[in-house]
Amino acid sequence: MNTTLQRHERMTSNLPSRRAFLADASLGFGALALSVMLHRDGAANEPAWSPPTGQPHFPPQVKSVIWLFMNGGVSHMESFDPKPMLTKYAGKTIAETPFADAQDPKKLSIERLVVPDGNGNQRNTLYPLQVGFQKHGESGIEISDWFPHVAKNVDRLAIVRSMWTTDSNHGAQTQFHSGRHQNDGDFPNLGAWVNYGLGSLNDNLPQFISIGNREYWNKKDGHYLGPAHDAVPLRIDPNNPLDFSRPERPFAPKAQAVGVDLIRELNALRGTAYPQDTALAARIASYELAFRMQRSVPEVLDFSQETAETKTLYGLDLPHCRDFGSQLLAARRFVERGVRFIQIQHGAGGAGAWDAHGGLKANHAKNTLAVDQPIGALLEDLDRRGMLDETLVVFATEFGRTPGSQGADGRDHHIFGFTVWMAGGNLKRGIVHGATDEIGFHAAEHRHYVTDIHATILHQLGLDSRKLEIPGRKRLDIDHGNPITEIIA
Amino acid sequence: MLTRSLLAALFGLLFLSSLRADERVDYEKQIKPIFTTRCVACHGILKQEAGLRLDTAAFAIRGGDAGAAVTPGDAAASRLIARVTATDPAERMPHDEAPLKPEQIAALRAWIAQGAKSPADEQPERDPREHWAFRPVIRPLVPPRADSAWSRNSIDAFIAEDHRRQGLTPQVEATRSELIRRSYLDLIGVPASLEELAFIEADHDDGWYERLTKRLLDDPRHGERWARHWMDIWRYSDWWGLGDQLRNSQPHIWHWRDWIVESLNADTPYDELIRLMLAADELHPNDLDKLRATGLLARNYFLFNRNQWMDETVEHVSKGFLGLTMNCAKCHDHKYDPIEHADYYRMRAFFEPYHVRLDIVPHETDLNRDGIPRVFDGRLDTPTYRFIRGNENQPDKSAVLAPGLPKLLAFRAMTINPVTLPPEAWQPERRPWVQEAHVAAAKKNVATAEATLATAKQKLAAATATVADTESEVRVAELELAVATAELRSVACRIDALQAAWAKADDTTNNPALVEAERAKIAEAVTAERQVEVAKARRSVANAELRLLRAAADKKEPIEKELKGSREALEKSEKQGAVAVTPTDRFAPLVGAKWTPTRFFSSGADDPAVTFGPQSTGRRKALAEWITDRRNPLTARVAVNHLWARHLGTPLVPTVFDFGRKGIAPAHPELLDWLAAELMDSGWSMKHLHRLIVSSATYRMSSSSAGRDANVAKDPDNTNGWRRTPIRLESEVVRDSILSLAGTIDLTRGGPPIKPAEQVESRRRSLYFFHSNNDRNLFLTTFDEATVKECYRREQSIVPQQALAMTNSRLILDASKLIAERIEKATPVGAPNLDDATFARRTLTVLLGITANDAELAASLKAFDAWRRLPEGHGRDARAFFVWALLNHNDFVTLR
Repeated sequence: MNTTLQRHERMTSNLPSRRAFLADASLGFGALALSVMLHRDGAANEPAWSPPTGQPHFPPQVKSVIWLFMNGGVSHMESFDPKPMLTKYAGKTIAETPFADAQDPKKLSIERLVVPDGNGNQRNTLYPLQVGFQKHGESGIEISDWFPHVAKNVDRLAIVRSMWTTDSNHGAQTQFHSGRHQNDGDFPNLGAWVNYGLGSLNDNLPQFISIGNREYWNKKDGHYLGPAHDAVPLRIDPNNPLDFSRPERPFAPKAQAVGVDLIRELNALRGTAYPQDTALAARIASYELAFRMQRSVPEVLDFSQETAETKTLYGLDLPHCRDFGSQLLAARRFVERGVRFIQIQHGAGGAGAWDAHGGLKANHAKNTLAVDQPIGALLEDLDRRGMLDETLVVFATEFGRTPGSQGADGRDHHIFGFTVWMAGGNLKRGIVHGATDEIGFHAAEHRHYVTDIHATILHQLGLDSRKLEIPGRKRLDIDHGNPITEIIA
Repeated sequence: MLTRSLLAALFGLLFLSSLRADERVDYEKQIKPIFTTRCVACHGILKQEAGLRLDTAAFAIRGGDAGAAVTPGDAAASRLIARVTATDPAERMPHDEAPLKPEQIAALRAWIAQGAKSPADEQPERDPREHWAFRPVIRPLVPPRADSAWSRNSIDAFIAEDHRRQGLTPQVEATRSELIRRSYLDLIGVPASLEELAFIEADHDDGWYERLTKRLLDDPRHGERWARHWMDIWRYSDWWGLGDQLRNSQPHIWHWRDWIVESLNADTPYDELIRLMLAADELHPNDLDKLRATGLLARNYFLFNRNQWMDETVEHVSKGFLGLTMNCAKCHDHKYDPIEHADYYRMRAFFEPYHVRLDIVPHETDLNRDGIPRVFDGRLDTPTYRFIRGNENQPDKSAVLAPGLPKLLAFRAMTINPVTLPPEAWQPERRPWVQEAHVAAAKKNVATAEATLATAKQKLAAATATVADTESEVRVAELELAVATAELRSVACRIDALQAAWAKADDTTNNPALVEAERAKIAEAVTAERQVEVAKARRSVANAELRLLRAAADKKEPIEKELKGSREALEKSEKQGAVAVTPTDRFAPLVGAKWTPTRFFSSGADDPAVTFGPQSTGRRKALAEWITDRRNPLTARVAVNHLWARHLGTPLVPTVFDFGRKGIAPAHPELLDWLAAELMDSGWSMKHLHRLIVSSATYRMSSSSAGRDANVAKDPDNTNGWRRTPIRLESEVVRDSILSLAGTIDLTRGGPPIKPAEQVESRRRSLYFFHSNNDRNLFLTTFDEATVKECYRREQSIVPQQALAMTNSRLILDASKLIAERIEKATPVGAPNLDDATFARRTLTVLLGITANDAELAASLKAFDAWRRLPEGHGRDARAFFVWALLNHNDFVTLR
């Protein structure tokens, strides 16, 4: 019961290895039979590569990940990294302030553009903070007034204020997930690696789910790991949650049930003519999983069992946060049932709703209104159910926004310093790690490239990304990143 | 940071202490892999930096220019240890890379301390010239038929030889119905129709199979089926971008797809395909049909970044045609193959000058509607530099790199001769069909205007009241016709002027009469264009008058203003029309082709236009000729490996795009070479190879392992081909099969792709669906459609989403009923007399190629029985349910 079908299927495709098939315990082979047959293959003496077993490499601290991604780029200064100097020096060029060395060309050279663009440029005139900040909780961490509900949970957060990336275009969305600049090509995303490396906790549900808008960044996740490791796209609609989850023409359920039995029986009979056909066994199992998913997924999305208090907590009664609230409540219900990785994207339109080149105040006020209460609810709800330690919640975005103004009232893309926070998952609670300089320009202390977030998550899941590497697909050190040990409990 | 380095140090200590002094280090397991993966790229057979090699322990002890690298017994005195532990990055090895891990250094130390022992028979790295894929293809002798009863042709002789050596017994031949299904799906991508099936089943004579496969190879659907395979490898993609902005590939790139289909059907030689795809513009500069082939390169267009465009071109030309991972040499020398860093950029230099343009096709002047995307050398003098560490911001400008090849593969000198293009190629407006298309378009406008005028006049004739309005309408229509007529005349005059100009340009005698004729024709063309302007201005005035007439009293003022403006403009254009034409006046030439603009320098504006010139560098032609040279050791081997993989399910060389030293050697090297020789000696005929492969006993075997337990024990993964490997059908075949069985498939060939919004309703073959990085058909994607960026082998996943698509999609549910009806009708007894058992048997054969056994029949009848008890299960409905179930059978999506 601990491995996914998908892993084994991939192996039957390009590496027709019987070993990979046998390694899949969900197909009914016990561990004993496995070792016997491997021995007969002579595998025990081979140092050759073998696919992951589905077991973590070391004891895991966490079971599931809820990955919240704000498309377009959240202003770090107006969310989780307040910079009063912006207000103090508002209207001055950076060169006129004591922080002029922020624009030292050497420091700016990490930037890697796809092409010069109207956006993603240096913005020289400091733009004042558009929102107030208060200290919250026992930790006294400052959070912007646009996040009152998240602020109530501040003592559950591990905030990393020293992120950097390299792509000043929105290809940074892809980069945040794969660790690679889009000019390098396509690489598997974090969720795909988790899906590839870890076995299933629930054979009735897909283990890697994607919810919400994903117009701009690449719609695939698995890339060279294969489509079996793409996220399964899901809609919060119990009547039609997955593609093809209901018959698209009237089909009497009883007639279908007879047909399903016949499919099962004929496929099984084929096993006599084709003994040891791994694909046949996998096909049978995939149909079983499909039928179970058809029943299980709508059940997860049926919120009728939730109390009115919970629904109110997530803001389901409020038009501005009903959509995102439903997605997060669904995420909690999926985690409860053992789904490994739930990737939720917020913010439709253009390159992402948070892309506030102009009218930042109105933009962020509107977006935070949609996400703040549901996120606060998720953290509180997970914690009161005792699930927060085994669930890692991530709040991320592709880059920050410029300390200087773009036009009259916007901020541009900013790769040199921005903020991501994580919560739960046996991370420290109520801490800030790393810092940007006084105007929020450069990550100054404990600088972290985006793959350090990946490494931290994989570490908590008990995975060593170097052990997941595939022959012929050389990964670089920077692809692996390093766990941020300072925030691990 | 402190904490982390502390941890690392602790970890190192921990490891050291765990590696006890008396614990022997295993050279082969612990040391050699360090040398192999981290050192020998620079200190081995490919390169001997500082005179040092580290591919054997003996070499390490012998050392290099600076003396011994390893002093057995004394780690502290060993230069190797000093260099891998140096703190100065300039000193530390591996140079410019991550340092060795502490545990690796510890292992090296311990190994040296223990005397640096290694096996006595350790062999140095082999000379890359001896690597199998870099050696010339020499036709191997066909082994004497080891199993003459089983063998059908020479392919089998090679396979049988391996069977004999391994003590394997080949599997029996597949059943006749399996063979029919297999050859149909493999060769044309759809199953036999009921009529075809009946026809083949009735052919009881010897040679039925040969007749069948010959028919299929001659069937035009064969080109469609195999085009899709090559489209995977050659990275076919319709255009994509952001919104309406074209960023990747090209509009109308489907012309290239159609060229592939047609070429495969015509069995155009494979070497010719390569030459045309890389250099048709230099080889056949005025042949639109052949120019379509350069879609291969046009597809790599990327609006924003030339380096990314060039990188993809180098990478995939190398992987696709040569099985070389040139891309591994983008940042440094190749770690495994004899490809220098500069070689990567020398390869790029072949492509450096090329750009993309759309050429006007007959009968269409609007390039938004149609046009041939093709390449041309537009920037002949752009230098190619090596990028230091692959960084595009760090070109090494000390040397301009000329096009060239890795030394090892330069089996002959590369001579590049510039190509002088015929005028029609770089002045495409000279092409007769371009002029005809412009004239035809202008004539069509005249005809439309005439029809509008006639309608308006009829209206006027029938009018009883408000005549002023209708009169004004007629006036507008008359002036519209005047514009169209003036434009037609303008087109004719401009063509005359262009022809006069070309006559003068092509004349070498400086005939003054031609000079005068050109001057006169230009004057006429300029005058005609001015007349168009006058006609347009008149139309504007009349339009404004009509609107003024119709406007309500309070809405008239702005129109009056506009009318005043129009009248002024008319006056101006009339004045301009009366001015004498001067020698500096120019007319707008006809459009024969349009450069596809790039934005390498700013995302907000097009780069300065690239114009068409009379010369092409000849670089791509030279490259294509080198790739297709009989002496090239890679081209034919790579091609036959792709063919084999798609026919048999498993490639001979598993690393289909890497035939280098990091790749995996072929399981049957002699067979691979024999097939490569066959391909070349047959004049690169792919149909010859198809025929050979499908007629072999190897191809005709059953994919079952039943009755071959001894084989299973010896070769469980079927490495030696003792049975056939089943193939999970490609997405296109799954969909096309369903439509074909339902009888609804639309076999129209070629043309623009079916847009995403029209795909659900479309019955066209799947290869005609619009397919790009951004737009992919949901049903097809579920079954592993090709990823457009790289797809040298299709995935064959088995995931639950496929089960959902097959059980619930409209496609399946609609088809089930139609298929049931067709099978009923095609039985000799006729639908009313057909019993469920007969229907079940026939359907199993038609859909799955299965001859039902008792158990399968019993299971089927049990289901029928259950359905017949349901109110929904009367008559044909139960049979539709049965078809639905079989479409969901594993074997429906499997090539057995």
